[in-house]
Amino acid sequence: MSASGLGEIRRFTFVERVVHWVVGLSFLLLLLTGLAFSHPRLYWLTVLAGGGATARILHPWMGVAFTLGGVAMFFLWLRDMAIDAEDRAWLRAIRHYALHQKDKVPAAGKYNAGQKMFFWTMTALGIAYVVSGVPMWMPGGVMGIGPFYGGVVNAMRLVHYLATIGGGLFLIVHVYLGTVAYPGTIGAMLHGRVTRAWAKLHHARWETEEGSK
Amino acid sequence: MPQLPANGLAIRRMSASSTPAAGIRTEGPEYAKLVDISRCIGCKGCEVACKEWNELGIEPTENFGSFQSHRDLSPDTWLLMRFTEVEVGGDVAWFIKKDACLHCAEPGCLLACPAPGAIVQYENGIVDFNQANCIGCQLCVSGCPFDIPRFNVETRKVYKCNMCIDRVEAGLEPACAKTCPTNAISWGTKEDMVRLGEQQVERLRARGLANAVLYDPPGVGGTHMMYVVPHGDQLDQYDLPADPTAGAGALAMLGTVRKLGASALGLGLLAAGLHYLGFGPQAPEEDAK
Repeated sequence: MSASGLGEIRRFTFVERVVHWVVGLSFLLLLLTGLAFSHPRLYWLTVLAGGGATARILHPWMGVAFTLGGVAMFFLWLRDMAIDAEDRAWLRAIRHYALHQKDKVPAAGKYNAGQKMFFWTMTALGIAYVVSGVPMWMPGGVMGIGPFYGGVVNAMRLVHYLATIGGGLFLIVHVYLGTVAYPGTIGAMLHGRVTRAWAKLHHARWETEEGSK
Repeated sequence: MPQLPANGLAIRRMSASSTPAAGIRTEGPEYAKLVDISRCIGCKGCEVACKEWNELGIEPTENFGSFQSHRDLSPDTWLLMRFTEVEVGGDVAWFIKKDACLHCAEPGCLLACPAPGAIVQYENGIVDFNQANCIGCQLCVSGCPFDIPRFNVETRKVYKCNMCIDRVEAGLEPACAKTCPTNAISWGTKEDMVRLGEQQVERLRARGLANAVLYDPPGVGGTHMMYVVPHGDQLDQYDLPADPTAGAGALAMLGTVRKLGASALGLGLLAAGLHYLGFGPQAPEEDAK
């Protein structure tokens, strides 16, 4: 992509990339094994994680990886995630963004408002996964809280499922935009760099800021 | 492939299996237990017989102001006599419920279970858990309208009354029925037990218990443990749901959420695909700048 002659900018550090993939891959496996447990017709998905019992044992441990990665990610990126007036203007133009009418969308900083909302929504969903997941994992109680048999587990399962719908939809949008919809994006999470041209198109304000360095 | 049970009984259906079990014998009597609560003297001999026959672990009893031996069912207590003191017509009455699996014809546990062959329903009406296939997810706990299955935190599997399936296979009655000193627990074909239950209900009504009923709830297709309930107008005091269904409560809600989720995720994928086909990729114009 450096064919543009404008060079590249580093978008994500090594640590950011590692944390992203810990969270991303664990979430993908959590989603697939979780779907497997949610309905008999999806049970075959357990082969992706070593079969029924293994998948069931791994699911909560992948949740631990997701949680630790999620906490690290939260503090790594928190600084950049405040929603400001420019983000609100961006959100008002979200229809044009979806229709690829870039000239009608306000220039974004390092993260656009959609990405910031993704961050905050996944934070909320992550909390929901942990709070509802622990009683299912340890129905006998944990750290003096519980036991959670019966009604509590049922209610938590419902919360877990609802949160999964939200997380699953976000994952679809996230992966779609990060791969085929916006070519040149995934490199940011692989080797950490994007082209100047890419940055101008998707994050013009950030590209300007980086250019002054 | 799920491990099949070691017994020779004909299987009607198994959890998470869309094809019917390949049994050759598909006909045979359905058996049922009839618990006549009016005949129960609360001796708890059935509890002991259950523990003995099934070699279940001993758990200390606890005095919490009731005649009841334990507070709740557990992975090692498949049968618990629940005692409730109730006021009936100015007098104190003891409502006793033999709390154990009812072996529903439409078992909520089996319908909820995602693990192939972890819950097996036999042609004779018994619903049994096959721990070899259980993955410990506890969806059966959510699915049961009677709150019967109990999860063992150490083995991470779920347990409940198996109707002494090994005795039944050998032509014997379950241990609780065998030991009951007042014949409050009867064992026989479902047909015979329904007839016997109706006779008992008539007898109780003739004695002035006008609300006596046979508890064989149709919402779960009937059960293979039925009760003769002397005070049928106070089912809640016996801790018996008035109209249980296999899709009750959480299972029904979870079912709705599953459908919602499957639709939402499917539509999400579809929308992403259509968006790509409609608008294509958006790449920087390399030559523009």
